[in-house]
Amino acid sequence: MSRYETAPPISVERTPVEGTCPGCGAAALAAYPVHSEGGWFDVVKCLECLHSVSRERGPLLGPIQLLSDLI
Amino acid sequence: MTNNGATVTSATAMRDLSDEEFLSLYHSDRFTASVLRSRLNYIVEHMSSAFMREAFSPIIRDWYDFACTISGPPEQDYPMAVVSNSLTVFLGTMADAVRNAVVEHGPENLSPGDVLICNDPYRGGRHVNDVLFIRPVFVEGKIAAFVNLCAHQLDMGGLVPGGFSGTKRNVYEEGLVIPPMLMWSKDQPVRSTFNLFFDNTRFGELLLPDFNSIYQQLKLGERLLIGNVDRYGLDALLGTIRYSVDTSAEQMRRGIEKIPDGDYRGTALVDADGVDDTLEYRVHVLVRKRGGALEVDLSGTSAQARTCINSSVLDSKNAVGVALTMLLDPHAPFTSGTWRHIDLIAPPGTLVSSLPPDGGDQMYWEGSGALIAAIFEALNPVLGDQSVAGDYGSTGNHNAHGVRDDGTPWSSVVQAGGEHGPWGATRDGDGDSYTVLYNLNNLDPAVETMEHDSPMVLLRKEHAIDRGGPGRHRGGAAHLKDTLWLTHAQHWLSPFRTKEATGVAANGGKPGPVGAMWFFPPTDGRAPTELLPFPEADYSGTDAVAGVLNETTKGLDPVAGSYTHFASRPVWQMPANTVLRVLTNGGGGWGDPLDRDTEKVLRDVRDEYISIAGAARDYGVVILGDPATDPEGLRVDEAATASLRERRRS
Repeated sequence: MSRYETAPPISVERTPVEGTCPGCGAAALAAYPVHSEGGWFDVVKCLECLHSVSRERGPLLGPIQLLSDLI
Repeated sequence: MTNNGATVTSATAMRDLSDEEFLSLYHSDRFTASVLRSRLNYIVEHMSSAFMREAFSPIIRDWYDFACTISGPPEQDYPMAVVSNSLTVFLGTMADAVRNAVVEHGPENLSPGDVLICNDPYRGGRHVNDVLFIRPVFVEGKIAAFVNLCAHQLDMGGLVPGGFSGTKRNVYEEGLVIPPMLMWSKDQPVRSTFNLFFDNTRFGELLLPDFNSIYQQLKLGERLLIGNVDRYGLDALLGTIRYSVDTSAEQMRRGIEKIPDGDYRGTALVDADGVDDTLEYRVHVLVRKRGGALEVDLSGTSAQARTCINSSVLDSKNAVGVALTMLLDPHAPFTSGTWRHIDLIAPPGTLVSSLPPDGGDQMYWEGSGALIAAIFEALNPVLGDQSVAGDYGSTGNHNAHGVRDDGTPWSSVVQAGGEHGPWGATRDGDGDSYTVLYNLNNLDPAVETMEHDSPMVLLRKEHAIDRGGPGRHRGGAAHLKDTLWLTHAQHWLSPFRTKEATGVAANGGKPGPVGAMWFFPPTDGRAPTELLPFPEADYSGTDAVAGVLNETTKGLDPVAGSYTHFASRPVWQMPANTVLRVLTNGGGGWGDPLDRDTEKVLRDVRDEYISIAGAARDYGVVILGDPATDPEGLRVDEAATASLRERRRS
């Protein structure tokens, strides 16, 4: 047995969303942040077919908020 | 439409657009758009060659550690249309870095003649040494585009001269963090910004002339860009910017569609951080593909490391773009459109999506390089002959500093470690044996320069025998480098991936072997009188730095050996006449090694890429003769080879 431990895993949180996918009909919609062309987006996607139901621009730096934004 | 809706595109393939449709979308005819895109590429290459010619800093002059890009205006959402032929870790982050810096500063606060800078890894990716310089190009009083140059500065303050070390514990130890701010305002230098650099960093006498050169290259880019507007018109320029990014997006989409729908997992290991060897870090990737859409989910990846071996989300985004471009369409232009049909899902606070202040990322390309290997591991099994084998995995950076006998201080930065090494093999042929990681793209410092600038002698700089992953196409050979240090020196070494093969196999090939590092102390204060042998060598008297090594002999023993931690001594204080030996990992092989052309195996034995024993063991090829005394007399024993290969296959 290895004497080394692996640093703990971290996973993204997906929030279930009511409704069905207009692409494939699956009741598998979820909201989560993604990074793509154009930066961060808060999306609602179908977890089955990856169809994007909505894509709204997310915070400029994603999870990082600048203290100077509060000035 | 793009993800953000900023660019208008047709659902019709670009090649199927009528002339009228093309003109409507891109405001010029096809021929003009193609010519203008080439002229934009010329601009970034001209800026690059001019900077290369003028640079004082060795990391610019000898390493090509910089890149140039052109981005579109705010109204187009800052699309990065063209990139220079240089560092991918810069190019893949600069699209977002320019947008993030300009948005935070406020485009309305920019004027003609301004140069905006930023080096914050969490705003723009990379590490603090890499300063991004952005110049807005105004046409008729409005920003038409940005010309950008990102360049590694030889020092940015912090604990370690030169910066390269995996032992720093947070952003405060890494060095000066610069938010978006002006360095030139209306073509006048901002003295306080210059002072911010010079009061907080080392080697200012090298930084100043390079800053002045960067400023001139930005003005050159601006001048050339405006010349194109004068010739073709502003609408044609803006249309060409769209055309360029749409081209990338379309080619990548076609590449994505080649992947069978499904979910694919891969992992890669980073040995340890700079605190101790108790914690390993594993990158996990889940690639999900449906139709023309792709998600790359990093969930399950280890929490960020305790020292600066992490990378930011933008570096991971770059790694995803590099890996998928290599696998799906190496000819697709690398622009912001590369990521149009890719969603990266990056839980905050992992090894490859670290957060300040504790998730330091000085050595950012190592974690993001592991992500590339993990994506290869995930997709290679379904890509068949399109798969690509992995590279040597870690640059194993070396920094050393000391004082000559006459009292002159010296410094050697990223020259004598495992900075260069092999690539994996592809369907097109064997892997190159001496290049840099997939997510880099640099020059190799000249030996004469290294020996002139530092009291060192390069004893070996060669391909290591039997250290490329076997395959129908052989992985590039690991690199072997022995350097003799003529004065007492402080050494920092950063090899992070010696436990598991980084040279991921492809299409039935074998992975490349792992490497290691050792210091050979002097005997009675003297340097060795002969070259240290390889591959057979006595390592028992060495100060082993890294690798999975036999506890008694200290030689490589990847099966039963123990891991040796690179930072067991954070700083390696070694006396004069010490020899540093670096053996990188090998590149992965592509295809079944038993299918390798026997004449290629014969040539490899003649050229000492593989030994006679390795030819039989790894390729089932029996070679007769002696490569040392009669290399041209070597021949294949065809009957014995056929018999051996048949036994291996059965």
